[in-house]
Amino acid sequence: MTDTLPEQTQNGSPDVRTRARRLLPWLGSLQSYIGLVLIVAIGIATQGDTFLDQTNLTNAVGNFASRGILAVGVTLVILTAGIDLSVGSLLGFASMASAMMLANHDMPVWQIVPLCMLIGAAFGFVNGVGTSVLRIQSFVMTLAMLSIARGLDRQMSDNQSVGTTVAGPDGKLTENAEAFQSLGTPGHNVGVGFLGPDGVYYPVLAFVVVCVVFHLILSRTAFGRHIYAVGGNPTAARLSGINVTLVVIAVFTLSGMLAGFAGPIDAAYSVSADPQAGNTYELDAIAAAVIGGASLAGGKGTIIGTFVGALILTLLDNVLGLNAVSDNWQLVIKGLIVVVAVVLQRPGLLRTLRHRLTPAEKETAP
Amino acid sequence: MTRTPRTAAAAALAAVLALSAGCASKTDDGTGGSGKDGDKSTFTIGYSQANNAEPYRAQLNKQLRYFAKQHKNIKLLPIADAEQDNARQVSQVQQFIQQKVDVLIVSPNEPDPLTPAVEQACQAKIPVIILDRDVKTDCYDSFIGGDNYQIGKKAGEAAIKALPDGGNVAEIRGLLSTDPQKQRHKGFADALKGHDDIKVVEQREGKWLQPEGTKIMQQWLQRGTRIDLVYAHNDPMAIGAQSAAAGAGKAKDIDFIGIDGLAIPDGGIRAVQQGKMIATYLYPTGAEEAAETAAALAEGKSVQKKQTLDTTEITKSNAEDVYGRYDMSKKSG
Amino acid sequence: MTSEVPPAPPLLAMRAIAKSFPGVRALKGVDLTVHSGEVVALLGENGAGKSTLMNILAGLHSDYEGVIERDGERVDIHRPKDAARHGIGMIHQELNLVPGLSAAENILLGREPRTSRGTVDRKAMDRRAAALLAGLGLDTPPRRLVKDCRIAEQQLIEVAKALSLNVRVLVMDEPTSALADAEVQRLFTVIRELTAQGVGIVYISHRIEELEAVADSVTVLRDGSHAGHRTMADTTRAELIRLMVGRPLGELFPRRPEQHSDGPVRLQISGLTRPDPSGGPALHGIDLTVRSGEIVGLAGLMGAGRSELLQAVFGAYGPRVRGRFTLDGKPYHPRTPGHAIRRGLALVAEDRKEQSLVLGNTVRFNGSLAALTRYRTAWRTVSRRRERAAVAAQMTHLKVKTPSLESTVSDLSGGNQQKVVLARCLLTEPSVLLMDEPTRGIDVGAKAEIHALMDRLAAQGTAIVAVSSELPELIGMCDRILVLCEGRLTGEFHRDPAHGPPATQESILTAAMARETVTDGDPAAAAGRGTTITDAPGASPRTDGSRDD
Repeated sequence: MTDTLPEQTQNGSPDVRTRARRLLPWLGSLQSYIGLVLIVAIGIATQGDTFLDQTNLTNAVGNFASRGILAVGVTLVILTAGIDLSVGSLLGFASMASAMMLANHDMPVWQIVPLCMLIGAAFGFVNGVGTSVLRIQSFVMTLAMLSIARGLDRQMSDNQSVGTTVAGPDGKLTENAEAFQSLGTPGHNVGVGFLGPDGVYYPVLAFVVVCVVFHLILSRTAFGRHIYAVGGNPTAARLSGINVTLVVIAVFTLSGMLAGFAGPIDAAYSVSADPQAGNTYELDAIAAAVIGGASLAGGKGTIIGTFVGALILTLLDNVLGLNAVSDNWQLVIKGLIVVVAVVLQRPGLLRTLRHRLTPAEKETAP
Repeated sequence: MTRTPRTAAAAALAAVLALSAGCASKTDDGTGGSGKDGDKSTFTIGYSQANNAEPYRAQLNKQLRYFAKQHKNIKLLPIADAEQDNARQVSQVQQFIQQKVDVLIVSPNEPDPLTPAVEQACQAKIPVIILDRDVKTDCYDSFIGGDNYQIGKKAGEAAIKALPDGGNVAEIRGLLSTDPQKQRHKGFADALKGHDDIKVVEQREGKWLQPEGTKIMQQWLQRGTRIDLVYAHNDPMAIGAQSAAAGAGKAKDIDFIGIDGLAIPDGGIRAVQQGKMIATYLYPTGAEEAAETAAALAEGKSVQKKQTLDTTEITKSNAEDVYGRYDMSKKSG
Repeated sequence: MTSEVPPAPPLLAMRAIAKSFPGVRALKGVDLTVHSGEVVALLGENGAGKSTLMNILAGLHSDYEGVIERDGERVDIHRPKDAARHGIGMIHQELNLVPGLSAAENILLGREPRTSRGTVDRKAMDRRAAALLAGLGLDTPPRRLVKDCRIAEQQLIEVAKALSLNVRVLVMDEPTSALADAEVQRLFTVIRELTAQGVGIVYISHRIEELEAVADSVTVLRDGSHAGHRTMADTTRAELIRLMVGRPLGELFPRRPEQHSDGPVRLQISGLTRPDPSGGPALHGIDLTVRSGEIVGLAGLMGAGRSELLQAVFGAYGPRVRGRFTLDGKPYHPRTPGHAIRRGLALVAEDRKEQSLVLGNTVRFNGSLAALTRYRTAWRTVSRRRERAAVAAQMTHLKVKTPSLESTVSDLSGGNQQKVVLARCLLTEPSVLLMDEPTRGIDVGAKAEIHALMDRLAAQGTAIVAVSSELPELIGMCDRILVLCEGRLTGEFHRDPAHGPPATQESILTAAMARETVTDGDPAAAAGRGTTITDAPGASPRTDGSRDD
């Protein structure tokens, strides 16, 4: 540690050249946004300002925000080489719970949201314990939880949808229902004046904030490193002093907590909680993570990637919708573009192409 | 479930599903089957429901339990929920046949897969009532269902009335592959024939889902399409679209028409009362008729082979009345 | 094609082979000639180009320069299929077997004999596989799953697979890296039988003493160039090392000659017992004392419990280990690795790829993984600046060759990977360093550097316990050597004969094979346990391997 060999300055305090060298891989990683760039380009080319309009982009991102938040949680789980199939059902449960807290108990938003997060975290904790302590494969454990949470949701709601536009005796929305709308009902922004003249659409804000927070957790904290280590090589993680069980329980709990956080957003967006809300959302969430570069084998993936993956999915849907592409063809085109986007943003593709195109040109012998 | 589970995961899934099904039917028992007279003069009724988790069908279940109780001679077994799974529904129908129920009521998830199972019941000499969706055989005793074509047509007529000077209509369709969607679309289109001043300028598949209605409406508004009226194939999609229009500050310029008219706090009738929709059309559950028919069949009486149920147009003027008539929240308890 | 009329053209000739990767010139005009019945050793440090050369021969690289001749005729090898067609087989260091399939299924994978009905003819398959295995002196049942076979058996299953393809040239990449001495001897017997049948062998290994036993000639590569070719009989180890590293290598074992067994006691273990219900090696009442500045070696055959001893002390088995422990005089009981690290223990695990490295992540990530809490900021985040500086300092200290701290660790050579593992251990500033096979599978240069590091750490007061399967390494580096056999201590030997029985290869091996004398009366029991590859009494360790000649 006390060695002061000349090389140390090269590594320790960066000069211009090493700084440039550090910048290079970052520039190269821009390639992973190529799918997004492609879709934005199609959007601008076909719809121009209609597509770029702030309202449109807000609507598009807002529509996917609850699934995007699920995707962040799923990314954490995928990083540990697990999978969380239950997030859609957990979102559904939390969505129903939030609507019932509002409709039946007239609870304020600031109580509903933390309570839903707690509920989600509790479900996630069970997932984590089942996966790590009972050693049930996460696929099976969370598939079971998918069923359990959905069943409880339906039992709790008696299979009825519950509206969030709760009217008081005077026929007007109650104060709490009014406030609940700001969680995602279209046209109800938060922070008017404080966050710009029109305020900000809460689902978009929430999604971005969740991404930033979890990006920082993953990239800056020891816990984030431990997640990568557990997914990359659990034995190495354990022998490096990491409590693998605890990390696994934590990521499932966080994933559940985020699903609980997204529940009220989904309820506010739909102005009601449906017993089927969130159905198959887990697939969209996993898709966003994987399109964003997360490897189902674990240890690989970033929140930024998942954010980009979510944008790709929702903006693609938006571009096709704005162009009035027929519903059947939308399905085909979505599938194709996702494949193309993923292939294009594969790291090393450019290098491989360049290599393939210029075979054995180096004749300079011994 | 005759499929061979290939992996441990599949087996586990099957077990989980079986467990959750067990829970579901148990609760149905708890809320519904309180009349426990072992009297030989009561007849057992089995009901196979396509999917409990749709508000419309949940309402149907409640009504059926309620109306079955009004008939002293019949006892409704716990309702079997197929969870949108054809294979599951076939096996549930077969289980009812095994139990030798006196009358079988089926709401098929899809017509073709359920046809053989219904024929099996028929061969076992069990009277069968088909509720809501058709099967591809004549071997049943009564079909009870709404007329989606008629509903679509009435919605079209309402649109014409709402747009006396013509205008632009947008249609949010149900899941394209489903029969009600096709009928509701066709009826509406037929009603508009001859009214060239009314144009259907946009149509998309909303999959019966409320958030889809919101998303599609946002995209239409973004495209700048002038829309005077939105016709959605069910109330949740109409309400979802209305919420998008309200968010964009355009709700006052656009009329919304839905279908279902459920008498629940979150349903279409309330939405009409709140002014979100100008009209919705009652899609009758047929529960009352089904209970009556089952009681009659159990006694060996003959019944009408096809009972088509009329819809009711629900507007602000009659909404409170209709709600009161179909509100189950005070009757089932 | 293969007419064996002497003087025949060489079985295989690779001439002026060159190969570039983007930004790297991996090979520059390398020649390699293999005659029928000859074992040619290919020697070079990691990164010298051995793997690239052999991958070209195996058809894994489609574009390269130079000429390949088989029996004097020019052949085009650009795909693995081409290599197979020309009778070239390769056994990779990481075995290419499907663990869940049987030995027979692996040997005949993709070429299963069929019955008339088109189904797999299992009987014919087992017969062929059994014949091939018997030809290698192996009586493994053909239906045994590969994952249930010992590493040595798996190695020979790979050989059988290659032979079933009618291989004329067989490349073996580090075939002995996972084998115990006696098993190595068995492999050499097989190699001699193959060469007697006219097969040419290219043998890649870092263990020069092994080459002396098996190779006829040796080709040395250095930095992608041809550094020299020698007949084995006419060269010396010193010359080969000089050819490899391009400079005269200092002492391979730089341990100061005197024994350092008089420092204060760092780690004391008495009566360590670990029953193993899962069938692996158990440990029975082991006493072990390590002093500050001392390097204690652990010798023993595979399965003797050496790794298990280190893992048990490190807390990898949790608290269910019996025995009394003190660490620097204070009571200590294994709980978890995290606990052990906090108490100043560090473990270099046996298998760096499986147990130590997160291969897909960066050098920085792997280096700092065990010590992240040391770089914590007030915000509970990891200070990248301090982390980077600490890892960079270790990289410099350990002379790790890596393009940058952000390079993926799987891109590094084995020696540099091992140094990253060492860096991770050192960053926790351990007072007791447990090292399990610290130099396995790495090149001579890196080996010497790691040995020097061990000596330096010991001189600074660290207590080191090292496991190695290479007796010369143990004898060269350790102050004391404890020998394990079947989970029991069976011997203790000293660097300085004044302290006790001296450490020699013979004395250590005798103690390591104590089991054979114990179980002599019951050969069936011995055969059942199988710590050596051949259960026949003729099995002999490499160091007195003359018997096989």
